[in-house]
Amino acid sequence: MFKHVLIATALAGSVVGGAAASDSPYLTGREQLMMLADDNPAELTEWRGEDLYHEPRGPRNVSLEQCDFGLGPGVLEGAYVQMPRYFEDTGRVMDLESRIIHCMKTLQGFTEEDDPVARKHSSDTREADLVAIYTYVAAQSNGMAWNPPMDHPMERLTRDAGEVLFHRRAGSMDFGCVSCHSEPRKRIRLSFLPVTSNQEEWSKAISWPAYRIGHGVVRSSQHRVRGCYYQMRQAGVKFGSDASIAILSYWTDQARGGEATLPDLKR
Amino acid sequence: MTNKTRYTACMGLALSAGLLAGCVQVGAQNDEKRDFTKMSPEEYADYLIFESDSFNLAQEVQEGGTARERMQQDELQRLCSETRNRPHGEIATRIVTMARASFQYPEDGIQLGDWEKGRELARSGYGFRIGHNYDNPERTVGGNCYACHQMDPEELAYGNIGPSLSNYGELRGNTEAVRRFVYEMIYNPHAYFPCTSMPRMGHNEFLTQDSISHIMAYLLDAESPVNARKKDPDAEVDPAAAPSGDTGF
Repeated sequence: MFKHVLIATALAGSVVGGAAASDSPYLTGREQLMMLADDNPAELTEWRGEDLYHEPRGPRNVSLEQCDFGLGPGVLEGAYVQMPRYFEDTGRVMDLESRIIHCMKTLQGFTEEDDPVARKHSSDTREADLVAIYTYVAAQSNGMAWNPPMDHPMERLTRDAGEVLFHRRAGSMDFGCVSCHSEPRKRIRLSFLPVTSNQEEWSKAISWPAYRIGHGVVRSSQHRVRGCYYQMRQAGVKFGSDASIAILSYWTDQARGGEATLPDLKR
Repeated sequence: MTNKTRYTACMGLALSAGLLAGCVQVGAQNDEKRDFTKMSPEEYADYLIFESDSFNLAQEVQEGGTARERMQQDELQRLCSETRNRPHGEIATRIVTMARASFQYPEDGIQLGDWEKGRELARSGYGFRIGHNYDNPERTVGGNCYACHQMDPEELAYGNIGPSLSNYGELRGNTEAVRRFVYEMIYNPHAYFPCTSMPRMGHNEFLTQDSISHIMAYLLDAESPVNARKKDPDAEVDPAAAPSGDTGF
């Protein structure tokens, strides 16, 4: 019901309009969203994630408190704005979602088939544990500057390959990510599109997790990448795959220095 | 399992589990040690798409074949990606030449179909989506024109990546030359705008000849709502002037 109240309020607000703090239509629309919703429903997800993070779970009955997100076991503050990053223990560049799954498996003993690992995205009726934990960990970087590390050669190669993927046109409609995210002030139907060249805009845009009003649930960066490949009519990108992380690495690098809003609220 | 497939599987494992040392032995028959950091970003991107198990490449697609073919670039896609959609000189000329050569016209000439059908096609974004929620190939594929273009001046939910097409027929008339241009723009717009964002709706066999004729009618038929009002064209072609509060609702 909260969802419907929110939509109704936002609709009313969009008619009224308001003073623009920025000349970016992407941000202006979003600012109105924020003004109208004092409480982001993603906070409920964040609180549930906090409980799940600290709760002993899985076959080994341990919490995720010893999970290392790159700054040492249990260090959450600022960890997410410094991802994706290269992890020695896996030999991979990983994003936050993949890293949580890694810890669910290695620390807690969950397998690929167990619901906390298998359920990657939330539905109308069921919020994924992964999304909740992701929201909690990400929120510990709220307000910080995006600052993905580029010290390891694989981090740099992953970002650079992500840039190639971002500009790579293919598929039935000849689209690439760049088709929607290069020219400022453009929209698809009524949705304004963020561009990489506007740091303020892009920093907000990549701020996942976000409660998506149109979906009525919290969504993740992996969900966004999947949606983009789907709309481009290219092949389905797999959750946590190296290509998906390359895209995340490039898009986070493009927001470097910009402020993260975690969790965010989006249309 | 051939050496090649064994090696590929091995590299996927190496990348995901950091077992490079153990893997090189398994793949040693291939006699090639693959050090990713020696790859160029382009080579690594290619590896990511086709060999790293990042995409569901085996999925069957409605045009026949698999999603793998969707990911392979043709020359136009490659040239536009490489030049970041700003082709100059010879490359631009090559793109325009290729696009002109790609034109195939209806056997009975370029004719206008039914604008009412065209209206539905212009609104629909259905078709060719794969991955987690496969579009039903039995259903009519839409042109998704409103995603990027203004058309009927009464329709508020239009995108602005492309130019406004409101009153298109009213402004340009419905001559044979105009019909030919519109057909060619829909079929392969790179003939006029090399590396445009607009899809090659005809060349890619995304829309059928029938569908193109209906969308053309929606644009050019005097009875179509696209041409229903004679407005000052200057009043509606500046997309940047759109109200700022209407994001996504």
